[in-house]
Amino acid sequence: MIHFDNVTKVYANQNRPALDHVSVDVDKGEFVFLVGPSGSGKSTFLRLVLKEERPNSGAIHVAGKDLARLSNFKIPHLRRRIGCVFQDFRLLPNKNVYENVAFALEVIGKPRRFIRKVVPEVVELVGLEGKAHRMPDELSGGEQQRVAMARAFVNRPMILLADEPTGNIDPATSIGIMKVLDRINRTGTTVVMATHDAAIVDSMRKRVVELEDGKIVRDQSRGVYGQAY
Amino acid sequence: MRANFIFSEVWIGLRRNLTMTIAVIVTVAIGMALLGVGLMINSQISGMKDHWSDKVEVSVFLCKKNDAFPQCKGSGGVNAQEQAALKTQIESMPQVERVEFEDAAKAYANFRAQNAGNTVMLSAIQVGDMPESFRVKLKDPDTYGAVIDSLKGAAGVSNVVNQKAILENFFGLLESLRWAALVIAVILVFAAALLIGNTVRLSAYNRRRETGIMRLVGASNLYIQLPFVMEGVIAGLLGGVVAALLLIISKVFLFDKVQAYLANTPLTWETVATVITLTMVIGVVICVLASFITLRRYLRV
Repeated sequence: MIHFDNVTKVYANQNRPALDHVSVDVDKGEFVFLVGPSGSGKSTFLRLVLKEERPNSGAIHVAGKDLARLSNFKIPHLRRRIGCVFQDFRLLPNKNVYENVAFALEVIGKPRRFIRKVVPEVVELVGLEGKAHRMPDELSGGEQQRVAMARAFVNRPMILLADEPTGNIDPATSIGIMKVLDRINRTGTTVVMATHDAAIVDSMRKRVVELEDGKIVRDQSRGVYGQAY
Repeated sequence: MRANFIFSEVWIGLRRNLTMTIAVIVTVAIGMALLGVGLMINSQISGMKDHWSDKVEVSVFLCKKNDAFPQCKGSGGVNAQEQAALKTQIESMPQVERVEFEDAAKAYANFRAQNAGNTVMLSAIQVGDMPESFRVKLKDPDTYGAVIDSLKGAAGVSNVVNQKAILENFFGLLESLRWAALVIAVILVFAAALLIGNTVRLSAYNRRRETGIMRLVGASNLYIQLPFVMEGVIAGLLGGVVAALLLIISKVFLFDKVQAYLANTPLTWETVATVITLTMVIGVVICVLASFITLRRYLRV
């Protein structure tokens, strides 16, 4: 599903590479934690999957597509197959829960009938039934992140990328967020989650890929966060 | 593509930048109106040229008794022989379409008709004071140079007057007006393009959240850019409508009034419609281009 082959990424005004000859394979339906300290290359990895950045060398395949050969014109179609969740939720403050989720479908031109059918299902899947007409500022951080997850998942992506989704949320609420991610993973969606949260990684017992200074230092199935942190 | 989604986005964008939008509309309106006025003067000039080129003549005045012109000094006016020779000379010129002889009586009649109200003038001037002349109509009014040169020194000719030269001063004035209008129009159009660029930049900044999410969920570039471009188009169109009103007003209150004095070739509504269509198209195209160029810089896709 995601295939990195000897990928190096150096940002323009830095001499140290953000990713240094990284090779990794993520299969369909896998749940992978991407761990490591700040600046270890986790976010760069996610940005490369979305083709927001281009690697300096190496090949990246996502959902069977060679990103180097993907024309700019086709990038939106790649991104429709990838859902994204961030630490800062990135909701639209002037739209309610339903509208925030529906927005993702509206802007890719889905018919309204389809949107009316699908959005309530996803809002229920993330555990926000009955709150569809709340505005984001009326929701707790955990609930806002659920809205973001609903929006990321509403188009049934093949891959869900989560960049520290529990970074702004207290540990008790984080468990609920992880349950939703797990539920999404069980539908067959590949989930890649970058995180600092050792407790969550340890409790989930999923594959762990650890990055340090842009290199993979550990790739362990059913792993834990590690003692160093 | 969902039209009402795009239009609601456009409406929000225009309202958020209301002052900039008004500035764009005003600049586009004045720029396009001046461009239109330039084009209308242009068509007015060509209409008037057509009208006058049928009528302009070269007048070859002949010496009369005691004429004040230096060429006529000493001779007792033109004699029949000289007059006949001149007629043959003029008729043999390739540029000449036809030539008419105007005797003193006819010239006097014309003079009386033109100055019917001026009794002092009429009582002071007698038939004998009017010069006889050949009225020469040229095939192409622009080829007067050679005709005038060869006739000026001929025996029995007092003076050669080219009406075209008189008209040309007037056309020259109109043409410089036209150029002034067009130059100011170009400057304003440039200013409008910069303003639109700025408006689009502001709106791209205001909507960076929305566009960020749109990019993330895979909205196509067209879908992301269209609301911004439409903002430019709508501002351009509104400016065009105001410009059209200004052009219609200028036709009724300026061109038609001036026309009544100068030539009987009023600007047709058809011409005005063509000019309005043209200025609107130019206005909208400039708005779209300005929006697109700015978007490429400020909206990473």
